Amino acid sequence: MEKFTMLIGGIQGEGVVSTGISLMKALSRKGYYTLCERKFSSRIKGGNTHIIITVSEEEVTCVESTYHVIMAMDQESIDLNFHQLRQDGILFYDQELQVSENLSGNKKVIPLPITETAKDQGKSFMKNTSVIGFLGKMTGFAYDELEEIIKNAYGKKGQETLTQNLAVLKVAYNNDSFDSTMAPSFQHKKGKAKMMMMGNEAIALGAVMAGCRFMAGYPITPASDIMENLALYFPQIGGKTVQTEDEVAAIAMTVGASHAGARSMTATSGPGMTLMGEGLGLAGMIETPIVVVDAQRAGPSTGMPTKTEQSDLSFLYYAGHGEYSSIILSPSTVTECYEMTVEAFNLADQYQCPVIILTDLNLSLSPQTIDAIPFENPPIQRGLFASETFLSSYKDGGFPRYKITENGLSERALPGIPGGQHQVTGLEHNELGRPSDNPDNRKKMMKKRMLKTEPLKNRNEIIVEDQLNGKTLFMAYGSVYGVLKEASKRSESDVDIARIRQIKPLPVDQIKKLMAQYDSIVVVEENFNGQLAQIIRQETDRTSDIVSLTRYDGNNFTIEEILDEMERWCK
Amino acid sequence: MEMMDYGNGLNPTWCKGCGHFSVLRSLQTAAARMNIPREMLAVVSGIGCSGRISGYMNAYSFHSVHGRSLPVAQGIKLANPELTVVAAGGDGDGFAIGTSHTVHAIRRNINMTYIVMNNQVYGLTKGHVSPVSHQGFKTKTTPEGAVDMPVDPGLLALGSGVSFYAQGFSAQQDELIELIKKAIEHPGFSLVQVFSPCVTYNKVNTYQWFREHLKSVEDIRNTDSSDYIGAVELLKETKGLCTGVIFQNKEKKCYEELHQETKESNLVKETPQISEELFQQLTKKFSL
Ligand SMILES: Cc1ncc(C[n+]2csc(CCOP(=O)(O)OP(=O)(O)O)c2C)c(N)n1
Ligand code: SF4
Repeated sequence: MEKFTMLIGGIQGEGVVSTGISLMKALSRKGYYTLCERKFSSRIKGGNTHIIITVSEEEVTCVESTYHVIMAMDQESIDLNFHQLRQDGILFYDQELQVSENLSGNKKVIPLPITETAKDQGKSFMKNTSVIGFLGKMTGFAYDELEEIIKNAYGKKGQETLTQNLAVLKVAYNNDSFDSTMAPSFQHKKGKAKMMMMGNEAIALGAVMAGCRFMAGYPITPASDIMENLALYFPQIGGKTVQTEDEVAAIAMTVGASHAGARSMTATSGPGMTLMGEGLGLAGMIETPIVVVDAQRAGPSTGMPTKTEQSDLSFLYYAGHGEYSSIILSPSTVTECYEMTVEAFNLADQYQCPVIILTDLNLSLSPQTIDAIPFENPPIQRGLFASETFLSSYKDGGFPRYKITENGLSERALPGIPGGQHQVTGLEHNELGRPSDNPDNRKKMMKKRMLKTEPLKNRNEIIVEDQLNGKTLFMAYGSVYGVLKEASKRSESDVDIARIRQIKPLPVDQIKKLMAQYDSIVVVEENFNGQLAQIIRQETDRTSDIVSLTRYDGNNFTIEEILDEMERWCK
Repeated sequence: MEMMDYGNGLNPTWCKGCGHFSVLRSLQTAAARMNIPREMLAVVSGIGCSGRISGYMNAYSFHSVHGRSLPVAQGIKLANPELTVVAAGGDGDGFAIGTSHTVHAIRRNINMTYIVMNNQVYGLTKGHVSPVSHQGFKTKTTPEGAVDMPVDPGLLALGSGVSFYAQGFSAQQDELIELIKKAIEHPGFSLVQVFSPCVTYNKVNTYQWFREHLKSVEDIRNTDSSDYIGAVELLKETKGLCTGVIFQNKEKKCYEELHQETKESNLVKETPQISEELFQQLTKKFSL
């Protein structure tokens, strides 16, 4: 089967998204991979919302921009999306809607009794169950399989609700508006073990497996799910989440908890990140490990809260006043969100500095089918701690928390451990942690803090996919990478693609090697300035062969857009 | 333990006569009287002359950033509930840049203590108006005299639901030691506001001025310290110029009691291993 893409749209609060997710789960059980994008207006109830789902036998890395099917429960879903319907596509719409005659072309337009079936068999708000009936049949499900889905969803909501929903389902399923030629034939089979997850959920799970037990945060789209998930997990495993008064407090509390020895994190988006600059600098100065997630959305200021963008990078690369080491990791897939969160905690502890996990709205919030994350307690590296015997030799605050060492890393002593008493301060300090503005000391301490992450520059954190040895390399991170991947599969050009997993410290050696290998590197990112390209140019001292391809309208690049660019670069 | 055991041998950089000396000695003496092991004491301060207090303690001390002693201190306490955690800072720290943290720390009622060294001026920046400076107070930024109404720390604390609130005076060290001791012993968030004169930049609210204006709560109170309305009236009547335990609500459950998880859960000592069964439970919602 080729990839198949459907859009379900309706009024926010009518269960549009949950309907889509139920279908995705059902399809994933049958061996398919799915990925969706959710579009919502900032209103909670009443605005239009739609979910676009791409289904395939192979892993899906981005949703397609043209649809095979639109299932419209409201007028706006048609107005906003009809032009994206493929020429051979079908618009199904609730027959209650007044659909204008002149919806053009060969596109099939078929009214369905969505509301009517719901009203006749149950209640009008059971529209989403009608939709499951119609779409479930189209995607090859047997009736009893759909019945299972409805039982799972409504089994706990009382007998009457369940009975009515089942009645709605049955009538919708038996509606004969479909015939088998309308959709590709879905061949259900049992595939690998799978999960349905989005980036934020993978980060929360990764944090738990990494031993994170403290999270302080302030709600913000698209990062809140991380705190919400941890708030569910921690009571089961012994950990704490705090919803603070603001992001300034969130990061300061995270620093405090980490200073005391708990693996700690916070998560936010651009507006909160701006407030967290202070805490990042504090953690940098006192060399306290913290993990901060920035799920980027369109800025500046409040920007477009429900739209994706990758425009915080420049700010984070240099975040805060003064200079200190920090690490920026940039996952591109949900699985990487999981793995790299574990890595983030290990790096934070080993290098005693802030680690930022940089995602974007689409990666953070798009539920998708992934190969199941296997059970495994990942290796934990907690970095340097002074031994208790060593500490017992110190009586009166003589423990050198900031001892100058060759690699810039010194041992920590956690509050509660006898002999380890010391001061930490955001002021420049000496080896004992005591304030000092002595120029020699300042130089030593700056070098200690600035150079300690230097070895990370040698990591090969740029992953080049299936090399074709072309002359051009397209590079991205986050949800943009998924688009590159799909485009490169379809492209007949010999353009290679890569994702970058660590932006700071930038893997400079590796990039220089790639520059020698390719004529041009096209950095594809969602912001105005081409921020990643700028950073690469600056760090490598090369300008001519780094090209920037940007989009900043709040939407992901489309596959077609990238395909065109690839063809262009191949000539 | 002796008071001296809690010192680290450094000489404070404060001006001779600064009220903050007495607060430092009182905190050290209270810790000694309570026999708090030094490694179990975490002192977190903000920025200001007052903020330097943590740097003179033999304890795990944390000189944070301006206004943020409270969130840092709460983070430490939540991670390791076995520690005695004391936050400290100036009036600018607590009632200007950090006001919201003060209010929310009070609401959260975590078992810790916050000492505000109130000199009604910004000492460290060399004499700027503070949110508790009186109207008419002349500083470099208010050459015509301050116009803004001062914050009333006591009423702010009571209005936010504080479970322990006391006021002390640097020149009455014996009382201050006892107040800090009671504050630390109080099971919940305790706030001690100390009138701690700045001898260099506040020529109005001097030691002499406080001696003339301060009253002892013991002398004027006719209700006990658990009476909320009584406490409000006391502050109103004395225009806030009184010392002693103004209010204590021993009944109010602290964070640690309400979130039962915290009792045993020292997040630092816990082993991070997750069993397969638990993993299945955590990932159940992702399974198909
Ligand atoms: C974010 C920030 N803004 C401003 C300052 C400058 N600053 C340092 S201390 C201080 C106020 C000090 O007054 P207070 O808190 O009352 O303490 P005191 O020095 O009087 O003890 C200010 C404004 C700073 N350190 N950080
Ligand atoms: S300036 Fe004022 S507050 Fe600061 S040390 Fe001197 S007397 Fe104390």
